This record gives sequence, structure tokens and C-alpha cells, in this order.
Amino acid sequence: MQSDAERQELRLEIKDAVARQDAAGAVAGARRLLAASGKPADVQFCATALAGIADALRDQLGTRRLKTYVVRSVTVEPILPALAVEAVLANYLLDIEVGGYGSYADELLNSDSSLAKFKPELVLILLDMEEIAGRLPELCAGGGGAEVEREIEECVARMAQLLRSYRAGSTARILLQGLVIPDCTSLGDVGEANLPHSLTKAVQQLNLGLAALCGTIADCVFFDVDRLAARTGRARWRDARMFLASRLAVAAEWFGAYARGLVRTFSTMFRAPRKVLCTDLDNTLWGGVLGEDGPEGIATGSAFPGNCYLEYQKYLKQLSSRGILLAIVSKNNEDDVREAFNVRAADLALSMDSFVALKINWHEKAESIRELARELSLGLDSFVFVDDNAVECEAVRRQLPEVAVVEAPAAEPWRLVEILSEQPFFDAVVVTGDDVHRVDEYRAQAKRAELASSVGSRDEFLASLGIVCAFQSALDAPLARAVQLLAKTNQFNLTTRRRSAAEIEEFAAAEGGQAVVVRVRDRFGNAGVVGLALARRQGDSCVIDSLLLSCRVIGRGIESALLAHVGEEAARAGAKRLVGEFIATKKNAPCAEFYSDHGFTRFVPRGGNSSDSVFYELDLTSSAITSPKWITVEGNEK
Amino acid sequence: MSNEQVSTSLRELLADIFEISPELVTPELSMGTMDSWDSFRHLQAILAIEGEYGVQFDPQRIPELTSVARLQAELVKMGVAL
Repeated sequence: MQSDAERQELRLEIKDAVARQDAAGAVAGARRLLAASGKPADVQFCATALAGIADALRDQLGTRRLKTYVVRSVTVEPILPALAVEAVLANYLLDIEVGGYGSYADELLNSDSSLAKFKPELVLILLDMEEIAGRLPELCAGGGGAEVEREIEECVARMAQLLRSYRAGSTARILLQGLVIPDCTSLGDVGEANLPHSLTKAVQQLNLGLAALCGTIADCVFFDVDRLAARTGRARWRDARMFLASRLAVAAEWFGAYARGLVRTFSTMFRAPRKVLCTDLDNTLWGGVLGEDGPEGIATGSAFPGNCYLEYQKYLKQLSSRGILLAIVSKNNEDDVREAFNVRAADLALSMDSFVALKINWHEKAESIRELARELSLGLDSFVFVDDNAVECEAVRRQLPEVAVVEAPAAEPWRLVEILSEQPFFDAVVVTGDDVHRVDEYRAQAKRAELASSVGSRDEFLASLGIVCAFQSALDAPLARAVQLLAKTNQFNLTTRRRSAAEIEEFAAAEGGQAVVVRVRDRFGNAGVVGLALARRQGDSCVIDSLLLSCRVIGRGIESALLAHVGEEAARAGAKRLVGEFIATKKNAPCAEFYSDHGFTRFVPRGGNSSDSVFYELDLTSSAITSPKWITVEGNEK
Repeated sequence: MSNEQVSTSLRELLADIFEISPELVTPELSMGTMDSWDSFRHLQAILAIEGEYGVQFDPQRIPELTSVARLQAELVKMGVAL
């Protein structure tokens, strides 16, 4: 334990920050106190302190309030302070309601239950083995293979029924917790390992079944608590004394880790992963300093310590293969770096081509990252920066607080991969085809930029691209891609409503409703699904609820083609008027004039306008939106 | 240590858990006299004390330790230097 003096000092710091209503200060203090001493009293202290500045958290840090309902069969109350604190550290403020011990089925099935009435945005389903698969230990011990299989199937089917029933009546995001593999069983370690239907294998199979089930339900994510338990040691994960006396399924020592796991898992349903990793070179991508040690002197390759860096390079390569863009941000001479990549190619897991952008110069690194954000048309909150130099790290933290900074441990290079994997910023529940192709798409972007500089007029350039827009239902985008677009598009997003999969399905199913995406390709490549619109019928009007376009394709007329498509579909369905809405945010200024640029006129809805929305209308009986002539359109006919 | 006064560390710990000011943590304070000291808060207090002093209570005793004086006496009995 840290000294009591340090604890008291950190507590004072938090108290001062709370008194000043300094949200960032209080959060930073809480982070340090929990890192120094995660004892229950400290956790409760932080929970109380942070709950006291809820408004400041929202106003200063944009902390998102989440109405959260816990469906449970075990005691969770003592864990709630840890959950609340971990949530704030991840920028969520949980409004928690806890269900009854024995009523989970009723809560999920009954449209009149306390769960249904609470109307949560997030539901955590935390059930124990006894509830989900109580017969399993006995069946496995008896060795009845067929019965074990049947029991697992039935458990998954029961859970499927509960989840589907709840999903049909609610758009809340759902987290379903799996089971921890029991550590002490009557079969013993050898039996568990060798018998075909041991409890260990049965629980693994059940967890796989539940995870697969979550994949078939919109806005539902599986929480693999066994993975966490295994990390700490399953024997220590649960305190049998407290479980049997108070139904506490996790030992108090691990409340923090458990809460972090829950938050990390549900976060993936509310925010998009970061997209770019900027890495430093010297003592980060390789060992040593290129300028001093020369290409032969830097450490990389199969021998220690070079293999530590090789591990990091392989990790980056794997990130790249699922669509995370890699960039170099290094103070070096570009020619020297090229030479190093050539000379040491056999010892490096990455080549210069692995990076979509290079900032190898002597400028401020914050400036380089800002330039990258502009060139790649991405927000700074999509960036991760890895560097071994504490001063560089601190400079980027200060100048670009949106960027996630990871300090590489230069003295312990073997720890870098571990440190990186502890960070939640690349977490994704789905990896879509568009993610995987993104790296190629950004390379194509660079070629387009080259062409643009060689062709005269803008129209000529756009025509030479040969852009094709294909429209299709958002349900086939696939749906996960549509949700992803809604979750992460900020700049060209007219209303910035983070609609869920279930809500998209509602738009698609409603009479006169639209849920459409646009898939774009041109002669340089396939940009994939990059735009989306949701609209609903209201009287004789078609009201556009959401319209957005990925920022990497802005400025090619695709937004006009998308709007034209929505207008045509609306007219075809008999709407006489098309209504657009704009809600200003810090980031979406680029589309503020979108509707007026397309001939819409501003109006104030009947009954006045109490929200931040600005409304626009277009008479569909007398006018239509024209799609740009350089764009070929596919899929306009139903 | 007598039951007349509550040790500083226990007082501060219980003040955190019950979210009250330390002066209010008197030996007489009990589950019966404070609404927020319900069975869940009690469990939380027990876990916090176990974590702080490195002890484990006998689960049979836990439901009986429902006042500050009793908690303190139990800790003294277990040989904790408060």
C-alpha cells in the first residue's frame, strides 16, 4: 500500500478540485488515487466526490449520462461505487437502477416490469451459473455427454428468448455477461482437461454460444468475465466465503478490474474506436537513435532487445490489417529513415508502405499530428500517439487533449505491447469489410490528391474520378456498418443523432420511412459504405432525421446525390414536402449550409421551435434535387 | 482502546462509506439510527474494513456487527491495532 500521507494528499487534491468545480482536476485526481490505492473506502470517496460534480462533468468534459439498469441474480450493490467511478473515468455518468435477485426473467419478458418502466439506455445482464445453467455441474460430473450438449443448447435458447423478447420492446444497448469457469470441481484438474464433457469445456462452449447469440441481436455485446477472472487467477476471483454468505460473485479485491471490464465492454456500443496510430521511431519502433547509431546500429530483429521492438511492429501490423491506419511522426531526416527501412528490411515487420502517412521532420509533433488530421480528413479524437519521450508526450497531451497519448517505456521495451493492449481505444465489437479496406482507401486518397493537382478545373477533376454511388437499404449495409457510421461521423453530420441498430430497423420498417446508405467507388478504389440517411413520414411530409457522410469523401458531390436520392424516394412514396433539420455541434460547421445550398428554405415549425434544431423545407411538387452530373447512380429503383 | 471513542482511521473509513462527515461517526451510530446504513451499505462497510485492515470476518458475525462500537470491539478482539 502507498503511504497514508500520499492518500490524504490525493484526497485533498480531489476535494479542492470539487470545491473549484474543476471536473478535469477531479477526474485526474481520482485516477491517481485509484492507481495508488484502490481500497473500497477510496473508491467510495471518489464516487461521492465525482457524483457531487455531475453538472461540471457534463458541461466541462461532455460526460455522457447513461440510464443504466442492472439485471442480476447476484449481489452487485457493493460494486456499484467502483462501477460509477470507472464509468466517469471513461466519461460516462451512470444513473443506476438494480433489479431484484430472482426476477430477471420477468424483468426481461414483461413489458410492464420495473426494467421496462425505467426505460434505460443500457442494460447490464449479470447472471450467475446457478441461474443460467444450474444443472450443468451435475451433468458434467455424471459424464452424460448428450445431456450436457442438450443442456447447453437449452441454456442458450432460453437466453435467446429473453434477449429477443426484451429487444423487441426496447432500443437499450445490452451487455450480457458470460460465466466464469469454476476453479474447484469434483472432476479435478486432470478430469477437467481430459474428459470430453468436463465442466470447463461445457462452460467454454456455453460462453461461445452466448457470445454468438449476442452477435445476432442488435446493440448487444458479450462480456467475457472469464477472461478477466483468468487474468487475475480464477481461484482468487471469487471469495467463496462472501459468495456463499452474501452472493457476492467477485472478491472485493477485484471490484475495480471487474468494473473496468464492464465499462470497457459497454463503451464499444457508444463510441467508435480510434482510427490512426502515430508512432515515433527512435526507441519506440526500434531501439536506439538512428541519427547516432546509424541503420546498422538500431535494435530490431530476432535477437534481444531488438525482438521487443519486432513484437511492437507485429502488433502494429495486426492493427493495420483490421483497418487502423499507421503513421510515422518522428524527428529525423526522411532520407535516413528510408535508408534504415531498406537496409534493415529483413529485421523489420513493417515497411515504409505499411504507413499511410509520414511526418518525418523537425517540426513540433503536435503540429505534425494536426497536419495528419487535415490530410486524412479525420478528427483529432481518432488519433493515438506513441512516443518514448516524456516531454514530447506531455506537449501533445497539452496541445491536443483529444489525442490519446501512450508513453513507450524506453527502459523496458518488452512492456510496450502490453501497455498498448490495456488501452481500450481500438476496441471494436465488429470489424466490417469497410474497416479492413480503409487502409487501401487512404492510399487511393493520396492518388486522388495527386490527380487533383494535375487536372485543371474542379468539375473536370471530379468527372475524371468516375464516381459511382450505389444506394441500398441500411439493413444490408450491413447494419453494423450503418450503426458505426452514426456513432462516429462528426463533421458532415446534420443532426448527430447516435441512432442504434434497433432504431434504424424502425425507420426502415415504417410506412414511408427510409433507412438508406450510399456505397461509393471510383477509378482509384472502393470507399465502401460512406453515407447514410434516415427519414420518416409525417403527414404529407418526409422528415430527414439523420443525414451524414464520412468526412473522407466530402466535396465530391456525394452528399448531393444522397439528398437527391432521399428526395426521389420521398416523392415516389407520395410525400409533397421534404423537411431537413440541422443541429449545430462543435464539429459539424462544414454542413451548416447544406439544406439552403440545395434550394431548401428555412422555416419555423408550428408551435414554435424549442430545441436547437433549425428546420428547412423543400416543396417536392414543384422542385427536385439534382444529383451532380459527374456521378453515376445505381440502385435508385426499388 | 475503549468504546468511548472511535479510532481515527475507522472513523474516516466509515465516514467515506456512509458518505457522512467524520464527526458524526460516534460509537453509538448504528444500523438502527441511520437510514442509509442498510444491509448493502453494511456489506460495503464490512468489505472496506476487511480491505483496510487485512482481516476477514466470520460471516456468522457479520449480521451482528451493526454499530460502530461493535465493529470496533470486533476489530480489537481480532487483534487489529487501530
